[in-house]
Amino acid sequence: MSKEVGKEDLSSLAEIDRFVHEPARLAVMSLLYVVESADFTFVMNQTGLTWGNLSAHISKLEKAGYLEVEKTFRGKRPNTTLKLTSQGRRVFRDYANRMKQVFQDFDG
Amino acid sequence: MNQINLKELERKAFLSTYQDGLWDMCIGLIVICMSFFLYRPATGYSPLNIVLVLACMALACALFLAGKKFITLPRMGQVKFGEKRTRRRKTMAIVLGVVVLFQAALLVIQFVGWRNPEFGAMLNEFFQERDAMDLAVATLGSLFVGPSMILVAYFMDLTRGYFIAVMIALTVFLMIYLNQPIYAIIIGILIAVPGVVLFLRFLQKYPLHREETKRE
Repeated sequence: MSKEVGKEDLSSLAEIDRFVHEPARLAVMSLLYVVESADFTFVMNQTGLTWGNLSAHISKLEKAGYLEVEKTFRGKRPNTTLKLTSQGRRVFRDYANRMKQVFQDFDG
Repeated sequence: MNQINLKELERKAFLSTYQDGLWDMCIGLIVICMSFFLYRPATGYSPLNIVLVLACMALACALFLAGKKFITLPRMGQVKFGEKRTRRRKTMAIVLGVVVLFQAALLVIQFVGWRNPEFGAMLNEFFQERDAMDLAVATLGSLFVGPSMILVAYFMDLTRGYFIAVMIALTVFLMIYLNQPIYAIIIGILIAVPGVVLFLRFLQKYPLHREETKRE
């Protein structure tokens, strides 16, 4: 009986979105979830990711439909604005709730 | 893995926009401007005071805006906060509006009261000594400014804003009571110095990424 309960609890781990679970993408999505939008430089400074690393993850998130990328010019400088799409917000919320469930009774 | 606290993450991102120290330097300069405005020279209040105040305040605001545009934004990037911060800003505007209306009403009541012969005589008797009058006006002045600035600090979620609020209230008090510009200048410097330290740290922490920005 207890084994079955354990199995049932662990099975929820399989439902965790691996795409969001990746630490760098999780950092980017967490930050963009709590703000309305931010530009590339701001996200890079806040997450501590390198330019190349962030650029790669942004491309993946955009391809997945989780991120809206808008390229404009501020004066002569290119400016990339990043914003989570409604799908991205929903996926992040689901991920956070799932993680809460997984560690519900964990007391360290 | 460290726990992700989304509220704290949002607050940290919000406060990071004040880590360039420009706000502190601007307020410090404005406090120094107040010394020109509140100083009452023995020769009489000159229109030059007003001109100096306006010029100094315009300079402080121009430096703040230029600093944000040419130094902070290219290094730190730009962010737009969510509905919560917008609501908070609107609430701040409403609360400050009510406070200013209340203060204006108090001033009108005071003015009308002074023109009333009975009430005016009572006030004049109470403030017979020049010192008592100055003390009352200085206290009232600092009470007008202090709580409003504390409200601004609260709504801006900025801890060092409380220090600035107390310092500004103290400036108003000292300037009215002692009428010496040096106090406002010293307090202005005390407010601006942490800003300069923050600004230097900011420049070290956020270098310009010219090449990367071009490729972006």
